[in-house]
Amino acid sequence: MSATCEFQAKDYKSDLKPIWCPGCGDYSVVQGIYRALAAIGRPPHEIAFISGIGCSSRIPGYTTAYGFNTVHGRALPIAQGIKLANPDLLVLAAGGDGDGFSIGGGHIAHLIRRNIDITYIVMDNQIYGLTKGQLSPTSQKGRITVTSQHGSLEEPVNPLLYTLAYGAGFVAQASPTDLASMASIIEEAIRYPGFAFVNIQSPCVTYGEEAQQIKGLKAISENLSTLGHNPADRLAAMDLAQQYGRKLHLGVFYRNPEPAPTYDGLIRERQAALSKGALPKERILDLFIKK
Amino acid sequence: MTTRGIDFKALSLKDALDLAVLIEQEAKERYEEFAAQMDQHRTPEAATFFRHMALNEAKHGEELAARRATLFGNAPASVTRAMIFDIEAPDYDAARAFMSPRKAMEAALASEVKAHAFFMAAMPSIQDQGVKLLFQELSGEEVQHQDLVKAELAKLPPDSGLSDEDFVDEPAAQ
Repeated sequence: MSATCEFQAKDYKSDLKPIWCPGCGDYSVVQGIYRALAAIGRPPHEIAFISGIGCSSRIPGYTTAYGFNTVHGRALPIAQGIKLANPDLLVLAAGGDGDGFSIGGGHIAHLIRRNIDITYIVMDNQIYGLTKGQLSPTSQKGRITVTSQHGSLEEPVNPLLYTLAYGAGFVAQASPTDLASMASIIEEAIRYPGFAFVNIQSPCVTYGEEAQQIKGLKAISENLSTLGHNPADRLAAMDLAQQYGRKLHLGVFYRNPEPAPTYDGLIRERQAALSKGALPKERILDLFIKK
Repeated sequence: MTTRGIDFKALSLKDALDLAVLIEQEAKERYEEFAAQMDQHRTPEAATFFRHMALNEAKHGEELAARRATLFGNAPASVTRAMIFDIEAPDYDAARAFMSPRKAMEAALASEVKAHAFFMAAMPSIQDQGVKLLFQELSGEEVQHQDLVKAELAKLPPDSGLSDEDFVDEPAAQ
């Protein structure tokens, strides 16, 4: 791993211009990521940024890190493979609520239980925006969309409760209502040694409802630190997480005070243990050569 | 509009000047972002206006930075960008595809109003006389900027009555 040095937010910004709709919350999310990466100080070539498919999944292209805009719902398994193949990389995964909690929903549980050292950022806008406004897994019950003309009959997935229940060591929520706070939450998530989940309420200006735009979000937002929430208290975090969709709690819900070993760390240990007394790689063929 | 960790009671003139420079920088960068978004979405008039605003904010920031350098040289800054958000920069959701020059100017006007409100709200807490004078000067300038934008708005032809939404595709299932 290289030593960290001074980087500025602009060093992580690529020449590619975002093509999100003007006013989209994702513009501020990418700025928050630039700032967080600058604070961490790892050079861009030591960062891999993996995404699925959707508006928000364009995000790796707007950074100077290595990026892979993969297939729908598969950001996490690919990020996991990259982390295990090269544990020295700082690995970020990102996508939308549809990508993460519908088609890709089955993957999160396994990354959490393995505690892979990856930061997963979900830009949750409660709609499929790229395909023009269909119901998504976090859309509120009753929501009218092109695929729910009479209102959704389904309860939404609660991303915070979902990840907390599976035992994620770091769960936080941010929003474009406060970019500085969002950047510091992303930074904290990256620094957490293990799987870290950040849900970002990122409004869709084209297909989102009025109440989900910045003004609406400001009206229901509450900072967890001002509520006196103790982020080491997982049960209190789960209690607060139940208000997802009604209140917008911003900050760290849960940070495991005693982080569990990471899967990538355990693999390294096992490799070291099993390779004791083993021939070095360059002498492997000797095993097959009769002396 | 958010601040974090700024103790206005203890704010020195050096810190206040640094803060003012950061506020201008944030606004300049946001206008540049908006101009790029408008370019990308083929809204050239709004792009031109946002670029003009970015230049103004940059110029103001440079003037303040020069003042800071004259008074305090290279003394290290103790305020950072992480302490402020959206003071004079237009809100991220103020931009819209195909926004008219009028809408663009209204977004800028709202930002100048917001910046003025920030300095006025901070004023009662300020103890340092130099900072008080600086904040009075800056809040006065925000009012002047509002007048300039209002004057530009007045030159525009009457609104067509069409909304930005009239130019956006209807949602359609794929």
